[in-house]
Amino acid sequence: MNNNDTIFTDVLIIGGGPAGLATSIHLADLLNKNSRKARILLIEKGREIGSHILSGAVIKPDVFKELLPDVDFSEIPFNVKVTGDRTVLLSEKKSVALPFHLPYMSNDGNYIASLSRICRYLAIKAEEKGVEIYPGFAVDEILYENGKVIGAKTKDTGIDHHGHQLENFQPGTRIEAKITIFAEGTRGSLTKMLIKKFNLTENKNEQVYSLGCKEIWSVPEGNIRAGQIYHTMGYPLDNDEFGGGFIYALQENKVAIGLVVGLDYQDPTFDVHDAFQIWKTNPFVSAILKGGKLLEYGAKTLPEGGYYSIPKLYVDNALIVGDSAGLVSMPALKGIHLAIRSGMLAAKTMIKALSENDSSEKNLQHYETLIKNSHIHKELYAVRNFRQGFNKGLIIGGLHFGTQLITGGAGFFGRLKSHADSQTTLKLSELKKKPFKERFKGKLEIDKILTFDKVTNVFYSGVYHDEQQVVHLHINNPENYKILNVEQYGAPEQFYCSSEVYELHLNKSGQKEIRIHAENCMHCKTCDIKSPGEGITWVVPNGGNGPDFQNM
Amino acid sequence: MALTIISLIKQVPIPTEMRMGDDGLMDRTKAKSIINIDCQFGLEAGLQLKKQNPGARLIVCSMGPKSFETALRTAVSMGYDEAFLLSDRKLGGSDTYATGLAISTMLKHLGFTKNSKEPFIVLAGRQTSDGDTAHVPSQVAESIGIPQATFVESVKADGNGNVIAKRIIEGGYQMLKLPLPCVISLTPTGIPPRKPSLSGAIKARKLEITTFGIENIGLGTEKIGLNGSPTIVAKVVNIISERPPIVMAEGHNEVALVDSLIINFKKGGNILEKRENVAKKEIERPDFPDKDFRNGASGILTWAEITNGKISRPSIELLTPARNLANQLGNNTRVLTLMIGKNVEQLAHTMIEYGSDEVIYVENEKLEEYLVLPFSSIFAQVIKERNPEIALFAATTSGRELAPRIGMKTNSGVTADCTGLEIGEYIDKKEKLIYKPILESRRPTYGESKLATILGFVCPQISTARAGTFEVPERLEGREGIISVFNPVLDDQDFIVEIQKTIRGEGGLQNLFDADVIISGGRGTLIDNLGLIKDLAEALKSQGINAEWASSRPVVDEGVVDYARQIGQTGKTIRPKVYIAVGVSGAIQHIAGMKESEKIIAIDHNPKAHIFQNADFGIVGEYTDILPELIERVKAGFNFGIEIKKN
Repeated sequence: MNNNDTIFTDVLIIGGGPAGLATSIHLADLLNKNSRKARILLIEKGREIGSHILSGAVIKPDVFKELLPDVDFSEIPFNVKVTGDRTVLLSEKKSVALPFHLPYMSNDGNYIASLSRICRYLAIKAEEKGVEIYPGFAVDEILYENGKVIGAKTKDTGIDHHGHQLENFQPGTRIEAKITIFAEGTRGSLTKMLIKKFNLTENKNEQVYSLGCKEIWSVPEGNIRAGQIYHTMGYPLDNDEFGGGFIYALQENKVAIGLVVGLDYQDPTFDVHDAFQIWKTNPFVSAILKGGKLLEYGAKTLPEGGYYSIPKLYVDNALIVGDSAGLVSMPALKGIHLAIRSGMLAAKTMIKALSENDSSEKNLQHYETLIKNSHIHKELYAVRNFRQGFNKGLIIGGLHFGTQLITGGAGFFGRLKSHADSQTTLKLSELKKKPFKERFKGKLEIDKILTFDKVTNVFYSGVYHDEQQVVHLHINNPENYKILNVEQYGAPEQFYCSSEVYELHLNKSGQKEIRIHAENCMHCKTCDIKSPGEGITWVVPNGGNGPDFQNM
Repeated sequence: MALTIISLIKQVPIPTEMRMGDDGLMDRTKAKSIINIDCQFGLEAGLQLKKQNPGARLIVCSMGPKSFETALRTAVSMGYDEAFLLSDRKLGGSDTYATGLAISTMLKHLGFTKNSKEPFIVLAGRQTSDGDTAHVPSQVAESIGIPQATFVESVKADGNGNVIAKRIIEGGYQMLKLPLPCVISLTPTGIPPRKPSLSGAIKARKLEITTFGIENIGLGTEKIGLNGSPTIVAKVVNIISERPPIVMAEGHNEVALVDSLIINFKKGGNILEKRENVAKKEIERPDFPDKDFRNGASGILTWAEITNGKISRPSIELLTPARNLANQLGNNTRVLTLMIGKNVEQLAHTMIEYGSDEVIYVENEKLEEYLVLPFSSIFAQVIKERNPEIALFAATTSGRELAPRIGMKTNSGVTADCTGLEIGEYIDKKEKLIYKPILESRRPTYGESKLATILGFVCPQISTARAGTFEVPERLEGREGIISVFNPVLDDQDFIVEIQKTIRGEGGLQNLFDADVIISGGRGTLIDNLGLIKDLAEALKSQGINAEWASSRPVVDEGVVDYARQIGQTGKTIRPKVYIAVGVSGAIQHIAGMKESEKIIAIDHNPKAHIFQNADFGIVGEYTDILPELIERVKAGFNFGIEIKKN
């Protein structure tokens, strides 16, 4: 156990979600086809593959046929085929089903699935093909040599709160790789470092995100038919809050529900989790859940800046894939098929690089070319201005989108800009409309039957963190944070956090203090995204820590 | 000579991870498995020894189904080099005796014997979470014939081929020097297990695990498996909690939280739903002939443990079940007590007054402090001479290692940590016999959720009894009995373990047994060295309430509080009207000492702390915020419903 514990691999894939797994599977297939051998190592911070995977999810299945051409399609554990699809407009007490589908939102031929389960299945396929998968390990450092990426290092463990080594200190392992794939998912903590170091977002729009809170319920027979999906618009969101709800009926009387809200909202007291709970009280939703019970809770952000927010995806010896690359098609709310496709294209790029023994930036540029010529580009370019159009609210957004449809995505204004979500929150003194709590006064009673407080919800996520480690949520500048975040914004983290990590403690003399309950953290990354002035940095905790999603 | 470090581990389900199934029942099948927590501390102790001996070979062994390979691979990913698994269907149903025998046979097969030229050390966890017996380490040591130290917190090599072990005892600890080879069992209070490393995980993935069947190691079927084991589990019933679900205080600051607590407390908390008793089916007793398997063995032997020159309280408590069993057996069954030490003859008569019929004492200067090797040897000699049918030990840290070591010598099984001891019978439907009379030993298991009845078929039937469970019997002054001396045969080998130091606090502080309100501070209250805990006790006292403060074991270990104030399995078992646990995580050992309290209030910052599952009222918050507020309320007259006696 020396400190120079180093292992070598041809390809290191950081993250065991659909993008990373697809990369590994397709690369293994291509290697096999070319009668070549190369070591593929995939590491995942979740306790198991799937533990940190959360999605709706309604999936476009075609890409799975391309990824797994040798597999009987029925073997893939989709839950159920979409049989009914409606968009419903909600007000507080009422609901109206729209008689048509919004453009890009048709789900004909799609499947409802647990992405967590799909990933576990893909991991088995990958291992069959010789990929080495190691869940339960977190990497917190990119390794460089002469300014070029040469791999990553797993986190040192056996460290106390203050960062001092304990007797059971275990140094991290250096993983040196010819090519490193960043497949960390939304707001990847290493990807963020990589983007910063190589300035990969130069001339790009700021990436913007949504936060989705999700629950899985078991409901009585007859409440809803498996295969039925609903997307809701309106209540409890205002015109200037982008987002909506979803209800996906699974087999065995299970229902996946969720509310997804754009993090560019302005009200510093807005609370997506609580909005989700309020959403459930609309009679249309509560009727579906009546008599049922909560099985699982989770939350995650998703990048939705679209085409103009995609960073440069290649540097010397490294590529970025999937959500880390921001590959999500917004109107359709879908990124899984794009994640898989990007992984496959990364694999194609690598097989070339490996056989030419050249993984320089110049050679890896091929990845960009492949993407430009692929479905990914076609799909994202057509809706390149979609999300930005909604910056000024739903009505203006709708108008923008209308013109974009006519003009093939351009709209009348060309490229629309976006602002980072950390800049859109208003100070308490600037907020013109009623703060969240007043808006919904008397409308959210936690009954622990239909509605749940965050702490209770957290229990349903299986979350766990080692006690002995440095708190993984870093306040970047404590002094400034106190003045700006706590005083001027009223500590918005207590509201935007999906899992009660941040508590504003008021003692009797009225002194305010933020207490961090890192053990609750759902790894949704909202604080890293939404904290005004980017006051908080989400650092990866010990491997194997975090939620333990089963069917998310 | 390269040192070999051998860790024995077991894979167990995670009890806290068992989720409620759709049918409302606990779903065991979905519970994930882990390496038993104590065993993880054993693994870490091995890795610490490796730091001191960089050339050491680290091997890990387990016995169980093929699925235990997962645990072995985890050990390798933490830093172990080789892994061995003893896996054979014929081992199914083995009790601890058979398990100890099988594991030691595997170790001998691997070349680790008493006379090995190469030094080795066997490390194990103190006990498993799904068995809780703490027997196997002792049984392995006895079976290989090497010294042992159990309940050890840390172990270090001394550089001269010995190891120095810090053994936890009631009220303190002992430093023991043991020669190699030896067996050490680790408590979960030492250095916590490290996380696996990625390079270790890669090694573990590729590692070939050597798997043995019993014929590979030359083990026959006579003494293993369900049929070969000297004891069987005759019955398991659920222990129904007598405490209703907790009521948590709600509020966003300490004022609101304490308000809420007081309101909840005055309301009286939740009420336990009484379940209808299902009428028991009368089992028809078949008309089989009785079988007396005792072969002439008669009498009940108990051990009088001497600490600080006095008979320990649990040893006196033990005379209550011993007398009860003797009465049930009838035929003038006698209670014999063995007392070993220095100047013990003068204490013998006390045991007679408490109910022993005969006290056999061994007087030896070198035996002033308990040592497992000579003590187990003396017991074996006395048992051979007196042939008792039952042997009882208090389940102290000494009793729990001594009993299984003796059991291995007499080929008896042992039942650990019993809370009930009765004479009964066993209907053997296969052999069409009724074994009678037989000792029914009842013990809580699976984290106190089940009560198992264990039967042993080899005399003496050995059990250890949980301290604080049985009452101290009435002392009859002037009661007559026989006092006899015994001269055992001991040799130098019995004294190869050296006690370097014994640190043991005094018991005392009797008021803890009488107090109406006890405020107890755990590890979480070390921030102010229990200052606020003491302040709350003072505030209550000044209101005329009989209050006292206490602590959990980690605080005593830190040296902040005297042992006399320690609540829990290795401290005091108390039952006040109100018990307030502050910053106490709620380890099972602590719960054992306070769960009989009338009302329990838990205050801790961690909502997942185990203590909340054993309390009536709870507050989640920082005690440094909550207690000052609570103290003010007490000063303003809140008295936890205790009637104030004005003297």
